Amino acid sequence: MTSAVDPTFNIASSVAAKPDAPPAPTKIKVEGLNFYYGQNHALKNINFDIPEKRVTAMIGPSGCGKSTLLRVFNRMYDLYPGQRAEGQVLFDGVNVVGKELDPTIVRTRIGMVFQKPTPFPMSIYDNIAFGVRLHESISKSKMDERVESCLRKAAIWEETKDRLHTSALGMSGGQQQRLCIARTIAVQPEVILLDEPTSALDPISTSKIEDLIDELKQDFTIVIVTHNMQQAARCADITAFFYLGELVEVAPSDVIFTNPKQIKTRDYITGRFG
Amino acid sequence: MASLAARRAKDTTIKVISTGFAIFAIFLLAWILWTLVARGAPALKLTVFTNVTMPPGHNGGLLNAIVGSLIQIALALVIGGPIGLLCGTFLAENGKGTKIGSAARFVNDILLSAPSILVGLFIYQFLVIPFGGFSGWAGGIALAILVIPVIVRTTEDMLNLVPVGLREAAFALGAPQWKVVMMVTWRAARAGIVTGILLAVARAAGETAPLLFTSLGNNSWSVDLSKPMASLPIAIYQYAGSPFDDWVALAWAGALLITVGVLLLNIASRLVLARMK
Amino acid sequence: MDATITTAKAGALPPIDKAKPTGAVSDPIFVGALWASGIFVLILLGLIIAQLFEGGLPALRHFGLDFLWTATWNPVTENYGALVMIYGTLFSAVIAVIFALPLSFGIAFFLTEIAPQALRRPIGVAVQLLAAVPSIIYGMWGFFVIVPLIAAYVQPPLIDWLSPIPVIGALFMGPPLGSGMLTAGLILAVMIIPFITAMFVETLESVPAMLKESAYGVGATTYEVYKNVSIPYGKTAMVGAIMLGLGRALGETMAVTFVIGNATRLSASLFAPGATIASTIANEFPEAALGSLKLTSLLQLGFILFVISFIVLALSRALVRSRLD
Repeated sequence: MTSAVDPTFNIASSVAAKPDAPPAPTKIKVEGLNFYYGQNHALKNINFDIPEKRVTAMIGPSGCGKSTLLRVFNRMYDLYPGQRAEGQVLFDGVNVVGKELDPTIVRTRIGMVFQKPTPFPMSIYDNIAFGVRLHESISKSKMDERVESCLRKAAIWEETKDRLHTSALGMSGGQQQRLCIARTIAVQPEVILLDEPTSALDPISTSKIEDLIDELKQDFTIVIVTHNMQQAARCADITAFFYLGELVEVAPSDVIFTNPKQIKTRDYITGRFG
Repeated sequence: MASLAARRAKDTTIKVISTGFAIFAIFLLAWILWTLVARGAPALKLTVFTNVTMPPGHNGGLLNAIVGSLIQIALALVIGGPIGLLCGTFLAENGKGTKIGSAARFVNDILLSAPSILVGLFIYQFLVIPFGGFSGWAGGIALAILVIPVIVRTTEDMLNLVPVGLREAAFALGAPQWKVVMMVTWRAARAGIVTGILLAVARAAGETAPLLFTSLGNNSWSVDLSKPMASLPIAIYQYAGSPFDDWVALAWAGALLITVGVLLLNIASRLVLARMK
Repeated sequence: MDATITTAKAGALPPIDKAKPTGAVSDPIFVGALWASGIFVLILLGLIIAQLFEGGLPALRHFGLDFLWTATWNPVTENYGALVMIYGTLFSAVIAVIFALPLSFGIAFFLTEIAPQALRRPIGVAVQLLAAVPSIIYGMWGFFVIVPLIAAYVQPPLIDWLSPIPVIGALFMGPPLGSGMLTAGLILAVMIIPFITAMFVETLESVPAMLKESAYGVGATTYEVYKNVSIPYGKTAMVGAIMLGLGRALGETMAVTFVIGNATRLSASLFAPGATIASTIANEFPEAALGSLKLTSLLQLGFILFVISFIVLALSRALVRSRLD
């Protein structure tokens, strides 16, 4: 982190929660990343730093590769034969892409929340406990505490405390999505990936999730893919614009939405295409 | 070009005939059921359930056959259930798009419709001759081979209905595949999997041909799996073709029992599935 | 800020390259079991083929390929041939398909185009329940109910009326026994109607509504749309459905055994008793001693039935794959 000419470093350090906060260290460093769906070259030589405990938004038109990149971070593409990544994604300096590291380890540290709420077909309590039990064996009372603290953190405790043992499938879409966030937090990841988390939700639920994102960045590094540029502007410290599998521009959100350097970025954020 | 009136008349005629065909199919079902009730119900005395099969004129029952059937079906489920569940899961998860997966899917479809009597012959060759005789084991294993393709097929179909996102969400928590499958995917598809098991039991319960050369049938009380074992379909087959009125009556009583059981299982499986959808 | 999470987190995490995966041991076992069960099904079919072939090998050695077209089945002289049974198997199954086809077309038309929405499901289920009735029940029903009816009311007039006609008269020769090829074919038809109908309905329901609407738009009647749009659209799948019905009919055992008459003579007549491969195996097996030529001939028959069924079912599978209902 000594190179002052590294543009990504400058971007990361120029964004701050408070004006005098120290520059955020890089949590995830993407280096020369290429991604293929079979023959289709979906990500082209991506280089990009994600700062710790900040919200980084990835925007761009459909098919630009932003969701693909998100799914590289937690090795989700491993589930599908024929998809492969080349290059490096350094998580605290360790490459998480490639066969050396077991994907379950990566996914434990890098949690993910999906576009559509995905509550498991079990009770609200068990939805949270499922992930915890994977990694820790803790007592019933510790588990109760963990469930409560996660639900509180996800701002859904008040709505669920009286029906923890009823099916999670009976909740509203917005509640389900917050439950999914709580479930992800419960595993104690360091990074949370959000893949268009509000695109299936109504405006009120959306604003609750956005408030939540703001809270969560105190503890977690957050990467959010969104179609909604207002959302990126509201939530993100840094915004990266992708187009046709390439990273066009990455900058602090206020810069990218007010004074983008690239013409393509400007065209996209002003709605000329997308 | 036919006139409009002629075309309308043809349309109406075909509609009437088609409706008639549908009514006829239901009539056939009703006819079969009525035959079973009319001939089976009078013979369905308490002794059917309390006595074992006996020589003609001795007020025999079907107890050993009913128990034998239950034992062999249970054995078929214990053996075929896990294999079917795993194989169906394989086809829906890991086997997708692989050569072995496609081959297994094809072979399973063949097994699903292959003549059941050949399964009996196979087990006769494979187990009965080498292990020195007809046995309940052989019968149960023959039925297991009939149960497997049904469970494989329904399991695969039902797992394919589980949204990809649910699987990914479980993987995203760092879960290993076995936990994802057992705790999330199977759970999400459980109604469908239960349907498959009910259908498989219904199939196994009514099969006669595969038992002819495997468990053979047994006219006395026996729950020893290493000996020939009675079963309801075999007892019905044996009695229905006999010249003795009381045996024929008993065959009808057995036929009524088995049909009601199988149809109830079928209807139950449909209800479970309807609730899932 | 929440205590539970931060305390658990503080400094507790090892570097990511030192952490242990969650399923390091259990997952290979589970995934291995999945693959093993998939391979098991392949091996199972291989074993069935191998065992039937091996069991019938002595008969093949003894009779050679002549076994296939020898019409004798004589336990006394120990001279066995498969022709009568192959003929009976194919003939009864073809009769079944011929009778099942118009009914299946009609019922599928009724279920997709005519029946009120509320009735479709119950009637469809009722038709499907015909497939659930065990084979042996069809055998008893056929033997005790249908055979006497056919002997009394169907055969005598047909014999009187049609047997004098040259050529096709041969189909209607013989005494009115009730049992025989025709009766077996009729019972089989009832048994395969549900399979064919279900796959027809499934196919017809997949016809795009727009296609049908455009035909209605030019003034076609319901039947004309069914015949000229829906059926041609689903032709391939429907042929597959018919093949599946044929495949099912070929191997049906108990129902046929009760009503076909079990005569190992070759006859062209629909009314003559006959035998199928499956019925012969079921019937003659109890009298076949271990190691006898008869037993190995029966196993050889089984192998032949397997080959025939496999071809028909594989063809059907190539054309359509239905969901299990």
